[in-house]
Amino acid sequence: MRYAKFFSLALAVCLLIWISRASALTDEEVNNIELYQRLAAGVVKITSTVIEHDVLMHAVPAEGTGTGSIIDPRGYILTNKHVIGSGKLVVTLANGKKYRARLIGSDLGSDLAIVKIDVPPEGLTVIPMGDSAGLKVGQKAISIGDPFGLGKSLTVGVISSVGRTVRASNGFLVENVIQTDAAINPGNSGGPLIDSSGKIIGITTAIFSPTGASVGIGFAIPVNLARKVASQLIKKGYYSYSYLGAALMDLFPEISRVLKLPVKRGALVTVVVPGGPAQKAGLKGGIAKGRIGNDIVMSGADVIVSVNGVQVNNADAAVREIHRLRPGDVVRLGIVRSDGTPKILTFILGERPPGEHNRAAVSRIIHRPGAV
Amino acid sequence: MLGRLSIFTIYCYCGLFVATLLACIGFSRTSALAFTSEEIATMKAYERVAPSVVNITTHQCEPGYFLCAVPSIEGAGSGIVLRPNGLIITNYHVVYGARDIEVMVAGKRRLKARIIASDPDYDLSVIKVNVGKRPLRAIKLGDSDALRIGQRVLAVGNPFGLGETLTAGVVSMTGRTLKDKGKVLKNLIQTDAAINPGNSGGALIDLSGRLVGICTAILSPTGASVRIGFATPVNRIKAVAPGLMNPWPKTVGLLTIVLLAVLVLRSLFGRRRRAVEVG
Repeated sequence: MRYAKFFSLALAVCLLIWISRASALTDEEVNNIELYQRLAAGVVKITSTVIEHDVLMHAVPAEGTGTGSIIDPRGYILTNKHVIGSGKLVVTLANGKKYRARLIGSDLGSDLAIVKIDVPPEGLTVIPMGDSAGLKVGQKAISIGDPFGLGKSLTVGVISSVGRTVRASNGFLVENVIQTDAAINPGNSGGPLIDSSGKIIGITTAIFSPTGASVGIGFAIPVNLARKVASQLIKKGYYSYSYLGAALMDLFPEISRVLKLPVKRGALVTVVVPGGPAQKAGLKGGIAKGRIGNDIVMSGADVIVSVNGVQVNNADAAVREIHRLRPGDVVRLGIVRSDGTPKILTFILGERPPGEHNRAAVSRIIHRPGAV
Repeated sequence: MLGRLSIFTIYCYCGLFVATLLACIGFSRTSALAFTSEEIATMKAYERVAPSVVNITTHQCEPGYFLCAVPSIEGAGSGIVLRPNGLIITNYHVVYGARDIEVMVAGKRRLKARIIASDPDYDLSVIKVNVGKRPLRAIKLGDSDALRIGQRVLAVGNPFGLGETLTAGVVSMTGRTLKDKGKVLKNLIQTDAAINPGNSGGALIDLSGRLVGICTAILSPTGASVRIGFATPVNRIKAVAPGLMNPWPKTVGLLTIVLLAVLVLRSLFGRRRRAVEVG
């Protein structure tokens, strides 16, 4: 009698487990559906209207669409800088309501921007930010966005690689970029890349494609950078880069031979900004112009060979090391003077003045420029 | 009766305890890692296979002005390590006409490779690198005949020369036949994992991390992935590769050695015997 009771209980438990297992959806599908239902309301469509001129120079309003994620209950929305353009901004929430948005701040170096809508916090779904440091190739990456302005779309893929470095339009390098095979198309820009626990791991920003549409190679700015940039944009309206006040170029063995330098590789200083931290510390730029092949080089300039003890072989490496520091940090530059004497300069880094990005254009004629 | 009951209750409690413990472990794991079972399988399979997939850069000669050969960086492709001693299989069209072939292992080791054998009909080539004292990690071969439509597959390769990349998809169809430039490729696996130029010669693996195919071709009006990619089944490689790696089958080599040895020994002993007879 007792056994019969026990067996019937066990049978019931087994049945229950079997029923729960035998649902038509795999746990992967259940996860995707749950994430979309939970987070889709936090993804918004951003429409920017700019005035373009047609062939007869008539003003024509043109619309561009992108995606953004609500990251703060006060109405702050994170998106790409290239989404917002320069015109009127309209944010469409998941419930179809449209709001005028204003630009809080943007950063060209990471292609990120913050816009704000004035909506009571009850009406907003915030997508939490995760951690992009421990990501593994093969884990799931979900993109929610508005490809080609079609309307909200979910695409699912895996992380294809981590740790890629891509160059932003102002010449700055963005490190640890996430590559994914989730379909990312024009219009997805600025949208969130989400992991299987429902946290933002990246901001979908670029695709690699010969056709202009997804070929399974999409890139996202890592959320650890986005978090830093977003908090500064909200606070100050701009993202402050540490600032040396110098334009750099790669030093090659060929150039080194012509300039008779004792080092073969490093970052050659081409221009020093008057009154900048580097000039005050005694860093010297080029004096006379010389020409090697197609490259214009400046002789008499210092070569940066190390930053805080880390050896740098080219301009990019020097820029990367300096950008790891914050404005106000002490930097120790190992340099070699044009006469061959090594020297160490120790000084405090400044803050890059807003709009100073264009400085890089000074050295555009030079092979692979970098400005810090 | 009382004794039996108490033992029974103890069993029950033990069972309950173990079940609770297992549930706790399971729960803590899912909440800590928050990965689905499929993600875990994908990550593990990639980790297993990544060291066995190499990036291949080929340099071709182009006739410049005055018809002197000018080296130019040409193609990027992928390859799969078949043997730890440096035998790598790739597509014939990746290494065809290359002046020199450079292989990048695990993202940092650069090695020069030479072509051992090619089979243009199957679009397969075997190349060899000199590994020195550090052997490569060979891939485990799976069974492509056991593939089922809808099964998850992963492609590991070097699309557009960007660097090692993982893309995921399913088996869309098996047994496809493709006609390309007069060549007929038979019995291909079709997949919707993103395969792009540069993925050629790369690995198509299943979730257990075994090689099931070698990414060979795509069907696309644009030249880049529209999620219709084709892979040569691994069973074709199993059938062709031994011959590609060693043009002389093993038994023939062994027989030759035995025959030579017999001849040498006979000639040695024969001469001695003759000497004795003369004496």
